[in-house]
Amino acid sequence: MPSTKIQLRWQPLPRVPERNHRMINSVVFGVPIKCHHRVSDVLSRTNGPSFGSVTSVSIRTKARPFLLGDANGRFGRFGGKFVPETLMSRLRDLEEELDFVLSDHEFQAELTTALRDYVGREMPLYLAERLTEHYRNKSRTTGDGPEIYLKREDLGHSGSHKMNNALAQAMIARRFGCSRVVVATGAGQHGVATAAACAKLSLECTVFMGTTDIEKQSSNVLSMKLLGAQVSSLEGTFQDASSEAIRNWVENLETTYYLSGTVVGPHPSPVMVREFQSVIGKETRKQAKRLWGGKPDVLVACVGSGSNALGLFHEFVGDEDVRLVGVEAAGLGLDSGKHSATLAVGDVGVYHGSMSYLLQDDQGQILRPHSIGVELEYPGVGPEISFLKETGRVEFYTATDKEAIQACMLLSRLEGIIPALEASHALAFLDKLVPTLRDGAKVVVNCSGRGDKDLDTLIQRGMPSSLC
Amino acid sequence: MATSGTASTFRPSVSASSRLTHLRSSPPFKVPNFTPLPSSRSHSFSVSCTIAKDPTFLMAEAEKTKAAGSDPTLWKRPDSFGRFGKFGGKYVPETLMHALSELETAFYSLATDDDFQRELAGILKDYVGRESPLYFAERLTEHYRRENGEGPLIYLKREDLNHTGAHKINNAVAQALLAKRLGKRRIIAETGAGQHGVATATVCARFGLQCIIYMGAQDMERQALNVFRMRLLGAEVRGVHSGTATLKDATSEAIRDWVTNVETTHYILGSVAGPHPYPMMVRDFHAVIGKETRRQAMEKWGGKPDVLVACVGGGSNAMGLFHEFVDDTEVRMIGVEAAGFGLDSGKHAATLTKGDVGVLHGAMSYLLQDDDGQIIEPHSISAGLDYPGVGPEHSFLKDMGRAEYYSVTDEEALEAFKRVSRLEGIIPALETSHALAHLEKLCPTLPDGARVVLNFSGRGDKDVQTAIKYLEV
Repeated sequence: MPSTKIQLRWQPLPRVPERNHRMINSVVFGVPIKCHHRVSDVLSRTNGPSFGSVTSVSIRTKARPFLLGDANGRFGRFGGKFVPETLMSRLRDLEEELDFVLSDHEFQAELTTALRDYVGREMPLYLAERLTEHYRNKSRTTGDGPEIYLKREDLGHSGSHKMNNALAQAMIARRFGCSRVVVATGAGQHGVATAAACAKLSLECTVFMGTTDIEKQSSNVLSMKLLGAQVSSLEGTFQDASSEAIRNWVENLETTYYLSGTVVGPHPSPVMVREFQSVIGKETRKQAKRLWGGKPDVLVACVGSGSNALGLFHEFVGDEDVRLVGVEAAGLGLDSGKHSATLAVGDVGVYHGSMSYLLQDDQGQILRPHSIGVELEYPGVGPEISFLKETGRVEFYTATDKEAIQACMLLSRLEGIIPALEASHALAFLDKLVPTLRDGAKVVVNCSGRGDKDLDTLIQRGMPSSLC
Repeated sequence: MATSGTASTFRPSVSASSRLTHLRSSPPFKVPNFTPLPSSRSHSFSVSCTIAKDPTFLMAEAEKTKAAGSDPTLWKRPDSFGRFGKFGGKYVPETLMHALSELETAFYSLATDDDFQRELAGILKDYVGRESPLYFAERLTEHYRRENGEGPLIYLKREDLNHTGAHKINNAVAQALLAKRLGKRRIIAETGAGQHGVATATVCARFGLQCIIYMGAQDMERQALNVFRMRLLGAEVRGVHSGTATLKDATSEAIRDWVTNVETTHYILGSVAGPHPYPMMVRDFHAVIGKETRRQAMEKWGGKPDVLVACVGGGSNAMGLFHEFVDDTEVRMIGVEAAGFGLDSGKHAATLTKGDVGVLHGAMSYLLQDDDGQIIEPHSISAGLDYPGVGPEHSFLKDMGRAEYYSVTDEEALEAFKRVSRLEGIIPALETSHALAHLEKLCPTLPDGARVVLNFSGRGDKDVQTAIKYLEV
């Protein structure tokens, strides 16, 4: 899909007749497609809060502007559904389904059990004592300094936060009666998480991955194959794999579910992924209450497309006293042209179905991003993230490859936790953040993944000789 | 008895030895030679120690055990000498006796120290990520369902979700905390494939302790990634070039270090082997696995498990699960060892199935030895099971008939590795795959609705490269 610097006028959607969730007839290319839904009586939907606050898209009359997109998936001017007509009805079906499952007791109970017993939730909110002490000794002459807590998403099954979303969406795929799931993956984390969820739920899984990424992440590729997924390679990186996955989905709409790994894409993808990741923030609120009887003062997360960040932030967006900080990848430096700092230097345009900030040249061509944290290598960013930037609710900074590596080494040495290079970007920002905070301020950093997958990269690049 | 060139330099304090096989008395005496001290895993030892105490004393002990009968609540596990029946004990040089007694005293006092227990519980929760779930494996259960719809229910105790991906950290964390309490700021360990080294380096980083890992130079080449990991975590990895430059040489070097620096240094042993108090201590530190399982079973189905299954190398993950239930005689306990290329091939690590009783690493237990008492080099595709001995408590449970032990070949383990990845989306460690493979034989014999809890002791990310070579994926 071409991007453009010209802001597109939002086209109002045609009225949609009420659905009875029995059989949907869609016409694609003149061929009727039947998509069987699980029979669910619309009238008997209950509004149960079993998954925390229900923030479904049908709620439109909230006073607070920060909370949600409107019914068409817009966050201010960002978001939307820039897709061919063939996909519109499918997206509407997905919207309805999302609306339903968010308040359906049965679905929520099944998901909660799976998150607890399969994924290993809840993840600890861990006080990093030695890291806290490190910053105390480094930058202060008196006082205790802030306290640094890590939200341990690295402990989840498959080693990152990606599973929270993959599992929930795989359950939705099964409800749709789809037998097959397609995904695109960069570093492979989303691919592995989806392959695992599909194995558990007896779904076929096809993963699209760029050859450049396959070379860098061979062990993730092997894991996906072991888990029974089919890995399709193509020239390029994650953005090309995304396009190919979407193409494959459109060609096989009957049987296939496209499982988006992050908060980009046409509505309802950004809202859906954010909802499923928001368990991170919900747990954090409860744990903070339990640990120190209050809320965090600052939340820090790395931002590629924004799923782990929104997962942590969303719960606190309405709490004005909680500062939200996102850290993008500055790669080899913002001036080098080799980075992924979409919000820092990008412009607004449409990419992969939604309007958001993206890295583009003067002709609106997408630039190739770079980061040592492969999952951060995406030229766009989620529309809700763009909105939170524009309204000033979230502050965004950047960290270079070198700073991320240093941060990875520091946490390994001080806490015995090897973080993923993506999460290391968030940790790197602590160097600049901590000296500005008052004593006793509670900082929560989203440790979004473990770093076992990055050992080869660390060995090849940027490791100081003293360690080898 | 032949000895390797530069192997252990210990001279035992007893001048005579006898090789005990079961309760046979007065075999020919041989000049004794010590094996290197405790090790979590070892590939081969060219020296074995077959010293035992006075055989008549041991026979009396064994009689005592028999008299205790089949009521597990009457068994001393262990007694004050560190014996489990006739197994266990402290076969070490005099220089280490003091360190071991000190460790024992410290361990007993910390067991009742509320501060220590609270600190340990906090670390297990927030750092390690406990409690680990008891996960109902729906597709695996379906796979074992018989044609008439009957079959057992399979639950997996998810130790793979722990920080560092295996059960090993439970013990490493507790021992590091104990060392700190003892005022020892220096930790040593030896490692073969590197897993135990990584767990030790991890906890040392967490507690700010100096960490030295001894590793054979050959192993260092084969496991470069783990060496890098240990160094990234701040540990010093010392290559050992003597002998065959593998695990047993690294073990000797570590022991030499411990003997020299015993006042400042704690030796973190990775399994329920070695001299007393290690088997008891490591078991108790892993016992959290069984304790959680009891509570979770009660919550989930209001009862106890019917069968417990775990893989057995040194035996730590198995003891961690079993210990809580030993007194519950209606709970069946099954350990699964590595049969490598097959029990008849001579290339396996099925100590309890094919071994004889002797002393290895400071404890009396079953071990793989030839007719001259030389240790047979074991083999298994999984490094963690590749050990010629086994923890003394397992030997005891086997002899008492309380636990059953079987074995599984490399091939069967690889099949299970693939099967569970496909069915449940969880890649098991090759060690765990042995336990999973045994389900093929076990499940058809179980009654409908029998609840099986399998200790999913580790995740298989580390084994993906190895497995791919053998599997067609």
